[in-house]
Amino acid sequence: MDLREEKVGGVTVVEVKGRIDSTTAPALGERLTASLEAPKVRVLLDLSRLEYISSAGFRILLLAAKRADATGSRLVLCGISGKVRQLFDLGGFLDLFTIVGSRDEGIAAAG
Amino acid sequence: MIEITIVNQGSELARVAGLLDRLGAEHHLAPEALADMQVALDEVLTNITNYAYTDKAEHQIRIRFELLDNVLEAVIEDDGAPFDPLAITAPDVSTPLRERRVGGVGIHFVRSLMDEVAYDRTGERNRLVLRKRLKA
Repeated sequence: MDLREEKVGGVTVVEVKGRIDSTTAPALGERLTASLEAPKVRVLLDLSRLEYISSAGFRILLLAAKRADATGSRLVLCGISGKVRQLFDLGGFLDLFTIVGSRDEGIAAAG
Repeated sequence: MIEITIVNQGSELARVAGLLDRLGAEHHLAPEALADMQVALDEVLTNITNYAYTDKAEHQIRIRFELLDNVLEAVIEDDGAPFDPLAITAPDVSTPLRERRVGGVGIHFVRSLMDEVAYDRTGERNRLVLRKRLKA
């Protein structure tokens, strides 16, 4: 898994490439915790280059969403398609996150 | 047939994923099927390393991959507590975010992504067989 972070306007965009499994999930957790450390921030997680995600990864995403909720921040997910969308759907996670199509839509939604 | 033995530590799981990647590359297996097997294995092995052992000792977990006729098979054997993933009821996936528990979703993934899952307990060992069809 590779993580790339950039600032677009007031939005922190975190792009995940590769896979999120029990081996890589902790690093994503650390990154999201850091990105969501301040209150009222806006974070966009771009999953368009994600191959797959296991339940260890969903645990991290749920924790991040809870943290964002609790601190008045906004966490938006984009680029969910194919295998990754199937896994979100199977786990019943599609309704638990703010999900948009493209990165541009995500930046608009997060901002 | 290709086999790997790991110990019951989370840090070992990357070795299994790497072996499966190599197997997939050598035999040009469909990325979709490979991803499903990777997710299922991550769930199964995480369960074993996290919950199968109550002592602090090191235990060996054996994973064997086999390419059968149009089927990728993984056989996982451990000497942990008896655990039949087929006996677990499916999680309620409609629970609101704040009450949500991810527990149970992993096993749900295994059963949904695999075409066949079989479990048996022989003596002191769990044996789980995962099968994924490679073509429709």
